[in-house]
Amino acid sequence: MRVAFVGKGGAGKSSLAGTFARLLARTGQRVLALDSDPMPGLAFSLGVGVTDAGLPDDAVEEYEERGRRRYRLRAGLTGPEAVDRYAVRGPDGVHFLQLGKARGPRWNNSRQHFGFQGVLDDLPGDGWSIVGDLPGGTRQPFMTWGRYARTFLVVVEPSTASVLSGRRLARLAEGSRRPRVLAVANKVREPDDGELIAAGTGLEVVGAVPMDRALADADRLGLPVVDAEPDAPAVAAVRSLVNALREREVSS
Amino acid sequence: MKIAVVGKGGSGKTTTSAVLARTFARHGHETLALDCDTNPNLGISLGLGEEATERLVTVRDAVDAGEEDHAVSPDDLVERFGAPAPDGVRLAVVSAIQNPEPGCP
Ligand SMILES: Nc1ncnc2c1ncn2[C@@H]1O[C@H](COP(=O)(O)OP(=O)(O)OP(=O)(O)O)[C@@H](O)[C@H]1O
Ligand SMILES: [Mg+2]
Repeated sequence: MRVAFVGKGGAGKSSLAGTFARLLARTGQRVLALDSDPMPGLAFSLGVGVTDAGLPDDAVEEYEERGRRRYRLRAGLTGPEAVDRYAVRGPDGVHFLQLGKARGPRWNNSRQHFGFQGVLDDLPGDGWSIVGDLPGGTRQPFMTWGRYARTFLVVVEPSTASVLSGRRLARLAEGSRRPRVLAVANKVREPDDGELIAAGTGLEVVGAVPMDRALADADRLGLPVVDAEPDAPAVAAVRSLVNALREREVSS
Repeated sequence: MKIAVVGKGGSGKTTTSAVLARTFARHGHETLALDCDTNPNLGISLGLGEEATERLVTVRDAVDAGEEDHAVSPDDLVERFGAPAPDGVRLAVVSAIQNPEPGCP
């Protein structure tokens, strides 16, 4: 499967994506977790121990096109090779690759940025599942950072702003390649939060993750919740989400 | 006084900005609240309501439509395209992503 987590800033994309990737890997899938947020997040919920694991500079080459400087993967380097060489191996065999992290105010990220996009356009196919963590908000998730995804999971909290962001994302998705877009309710406290989110976003809610202190506690320690508190309700909810999406893969 | 509120997603930037803006306004300062997020929600936190927040025309859209020709200064731009919010705060939204476009991240 190829899924990408999107949603408002702070909705819980990284927490859920990392947990999802780990639990999916435990079902026997080969999982590549992709972090396209220049601010760290996914590394912690996966437990890979590195927060800056982008492509090295020499994996990307500069060329000129109509007088403009451009970047692409080094000649002969394919996406799958880049993953094989540069992705970091994390727990449960998850492979982890990211767009480099922001390095100071004057960091020019063009090289990293277009190199990473080169990998996104040539991801390993057979036998691999892709789980992406996208930057918060509505900045081009469908056509740029998430263009590999077949399913977008919009993480939505039961709050006006989060629901509004979910609705905007649903609208943006419609204008692009019309991928499958589903909502995941997160930080759920009330029995009708799922309905509120479905009604407010117009999206089908495929999973509901409760507000769970285990996540905050794990975050405080910088540990993945799957390791810190494997029996936490939030972990069980993400496991159900993995199963729900696997069933959809089989039926579609 | 010009204050910019920054931080990680979900850390409370919008809520903090809104409370600051309304507090300054209540103390008698003329206050402009600028939403620089491309997924703008400051209107909601200021108390403008969801529908009004969604209806706000962004300064960028106005400029793209050539409207700035009619505005003689930044103050004028804010005057024209800002919206009134509670406690006399003026809210202006810089830009919002309305359509998916390839290329620009
Ligand atoms: N189900 C939950 N219960 C309790 N806390 C949660 C839950 N999900 C996420 N959180 C907390 O919410 C905060 C934001 O989570 P996270 O960093 O995963 O969000 P994000 O959407 O990736 O944010 P950003 O937009 O900055 O990338 C963290 O402190 C996390 O511990
Ligand atoms: Mg994140």
